[in-house]
Formats: sequence, C-alpha cells, structure tokens
Amino acid sequence: MFLTRSEYDRDVNTFSSEGRLFQVEYALEAIKLGSTAIGIQCEEGVVLAVEKRLTSTLLEPSSIQKVVEIDYHLICAMSGLTADSRTIIDHARIETQNHRFNFDEPMGVESCVQSICDLALRFGENRKEGEEKMSRPFGVALLIAGVDERGPSLYHSDPSGTFTQYNAKAIGAGSEGAQITLQEKYSKTLTLIEAQQLALTTLKQVMEEAITTTNVEVAVITKKDKKFKIYNKEDLEGLIATL
Amino acid sequence: MMEPLRLTALPAKEVPMRQARFEPYVDNGGTVLAIAGSDYCVIAGDTRMSDGGYGIQTRQYTKIFQLTNKCVIATSGMQADTLALRKRLETVLSRYQKEHGKPMSTPAISQYLSNTLYQKRFFPYYTFNLVCGVDEDGVGCIWTYDAVGSHERVKMSSQGSGNQLVQPLLDNQVGKFNQRIVDGPRELSSEQAVSLAKDAITSAGERDIYTGDFADIVVINSTGVHWEKFNLKLD
Repeated sequence: MFLTRSEYDRDVNTFSSEGRLFQVEYALEAIKLGSTAIGIQCEEGVVLAVEKRLTSTLLEPSSIQKVVEIDYHLICAMSGLTADSRTIIDHARIETQNHRFNFDEPMGVESCVQSICDLALRFGENRKEGEEKMSRPFGVALLIAGVDERGPSLYHSDPSGTFTQYNAKAIGAGSEGAQITLQEKYSKTLTLIEAQQLALTTLKQVMEEAITTTNVEVAVITKKDKKFKIYNKEDLEGLIATL
Repeated sequence: MMEPLRLTALPAKEVPMRQARFEPYVDNGGTVLAIAGSDYCVIAGDTRMSDGGYGIQTRQYTKIFQLTNKCVIATSGMQADTLALRKRLETVLSRYQKEHGKPMSTPAISQYLSNTLYQKRFFPYYTFNLVCGVDEDGVGCIWTYDAVGSHERVKMSSQGSGNQLVQPLLDNQVGKFNQRIVDGPRELSSEQAVSLAKDAITSAGERDIYTGDFADIVVINSTGVHWEKFNLKLD
C-alpha cells in the first residue's frame, strides 16, 4: 500500500490505480489538524463559531482572524491551512462584487459557494497569462454562511471542490466529537440565541483550553438584516455568561 | 504585319471626388412606449420597419421582445443592432438561469442592459430601449435608456421616432405633472393604461411616418405576459 502511494502521490493530477488522487486526500487530512470551526443554521439565521489557538501568552489574539467577510450577506469560517483561504476569499469577494456590478443584486449563497469550488480544483492546471499558478490543492475547508432570497443557509466546502449544505457542521481537529454533539442537540426549531449557545457549548467540549472572549470568534448572519455581525469582546462576554 | 494595340490615354474628364464612407447605422424608426402601475406594466410598440427614408421594409416587425415571465424589452432604432442585442441578452438570461437556479429579475436585467450598452460606448448599438415588467414585489417597473446605457427607473416612458409626440402625452396623463386639480385617482388602472397606450400610439401614427401598420400591446402582471394586436394606419 505504502509503495503504491509513493508512486502516485508525486503528481497532483495523476489518479492511482485505485482511482484516488492522493494529494487531494492528503489535503483533506490537513484540515483535521486545524482548529475547530462550527456552523449552525436555524430559522432566524446562521451562526459561525471558531476556536482560536493561542499558542503563546505573548501572542496578540486579534491578529488571528478565522471568520471573514465575503460580502454583506456572506461570511466564512475556516479550518486547516488558513493562509490558503486568502486566495479563496479573494476570489469569492471578486465574484460577489462582480455579481453586484453586473446585476445590481447580492449574489446567491449557493452560486458563491459554487464559484469557490470551481477554484478549488484548478491546481496543477496551465493557467492563462496573469493568473496565479496553483501547484497543489488548497489545504483549507470552509464553512460558508449566508442569507439570500431562499433564506439563511450554511455550506461546507473542502479541498476536493465538493460542497454540501448542512443544518449544522463542524470542521477541524475536534470535528468528529463536535459533529456527534450537533447531531444529538440540533433541532430545526432552534432560535438564534439557542443556536449560538449550542455552537459555543459544542466548541467548549472539544477545546483544550477554557473558553474565553479571546480564544473564540463568533459571527452571526440574520435573515432579518441580511447582514453579518462579527462579535466583539462585549458581545462575547454576554454570550459566554449565558452558557 | 498587324500594328500592336496601343493604349491611348483617356480624355481627361472632370469627375467630382467621391469618398466611400463607412455607414454602419440606419434608423429603422418606430415608436415604443410603456406605462407602469402598482401591479402591472403596459407596453405598446408599432410594427412598422422603415428603410430610413420613405420606404417600408416590413409591416410586421415586432419591437417588443419577451425576456422572462416578468419582463420584456421594447426597442426602437436599428433593427440589426436590436436583434444582436436581444441575442446577447437571451444568452445571458439562459446562463443566469443555469448558474443561479432562478430567472433573472427585471431590476437585474435593467442593470445588465446598461452595462452591455456602455461596454459598446465607442461603437454603440443603435438602439433605444425600454426594459419593462414587474419587479420582485410585483410592482410595475420601466427603465428607459439612451444608446450608451444611461438609464432611469420611471413610471412612464417612450422611445423612438414618435417619442416627441408621445412623451408629453404620457407626462400629462400618467404623471399628471403640474396639475393642481386632478379628477379621480392619480394612478391609472391597467385597462385605462391599455386604452391610453392605444390612443398614444395611434396619435403618433397620425404625424410620424415611421410609426404605423400595427401595434403590439403587452400587459405584464402577476399572471404573466399578455399580448394583443392592435390596428394602426397602413398608409
């Protein structure tokens, strides 16, 4: 087995005789090393909660950002090689702005996720002039939360370019445990507050450190406002106090 | 032995200098107009296509084109450019439907048309458009354009050779501009709008030689797009 692997994992675009793309599978492994991120969708909106690993007390927590804006109505949480997400987010931001320019309306959530996934499988390709070269698959998975005319929705995308819609999804190192908890506790009737609490308690269970206002990031996007909000220190204090 | 043929110089003749010019445009004429209400939009357009002068190329050229179940585009100007523009819009509409899983909304079409026209800022489509329909809330809407993409959302508008005859009538009867005393409700019903549209286009046909033959009357509301043919003068 190991021998066959070493034959086929040199080139990113060569299938093994068993029909596998090892580089893509390894990229999927990279996500399992990342910090945990959780997304929960409910009737009122979507919640994203991410763990921030503060490896040193001298580290400035605000310099780590794991929930980012794509557009007013689209946000994204990441796990894995977060540097890779820069390329993806950049692409998504351009796509959403292009859509606004062309059609004077916000881009649909699924369309945006689709355009992100179109990019995910372009590694190893001969690029057109002026386009960046991508030598390997992305090592990052995303939870994309957004609101459009179909209501709030949560999507998961991974390095293989696959995307799936979820009611609740966990990615990263603690994803296995967290996913089981979400499976048990999730209900379609959750309120936004309950969804936030579920996201944080689930995150708390799988985190090594105790949960504080500096080592988690929470963002919500509501159906009512169609606009995201990334929680600040005060908002987080209030939320953590309710757990 | 035969004398070889000899070319003799042609007698010098005074020929006026004539320069071949690139004339890519022709105005095929015609009038389109539209009236929007709170839950409908009425569009009228004659079907005469002139050759740019006194000639008529066809009496059956429809200037109104259905884009979606909620939107039509009414175009006067040059027929060839109109067809090219329609084809482009159709392609985008079909792509949009596949990419986003829904038909393009009327406001989205209006923005896209503006961009499309402006992209050809320096070799414009010789077209004068009205994008008409109902928006996402079912409210009647009209966007009126110039040839290079300037646009505005309005309650009533007209374009084409009869524009100068029709627009003041619409301003008065639909916009009720500068009227201090107005009889009855300010907004027209759908039936009143159809009746006014017929009168307006008939009137344009009285004085404008490029407008005539027949008119398409289109009503867009929550039940869809409804077409009607209406007779104009055939002279």
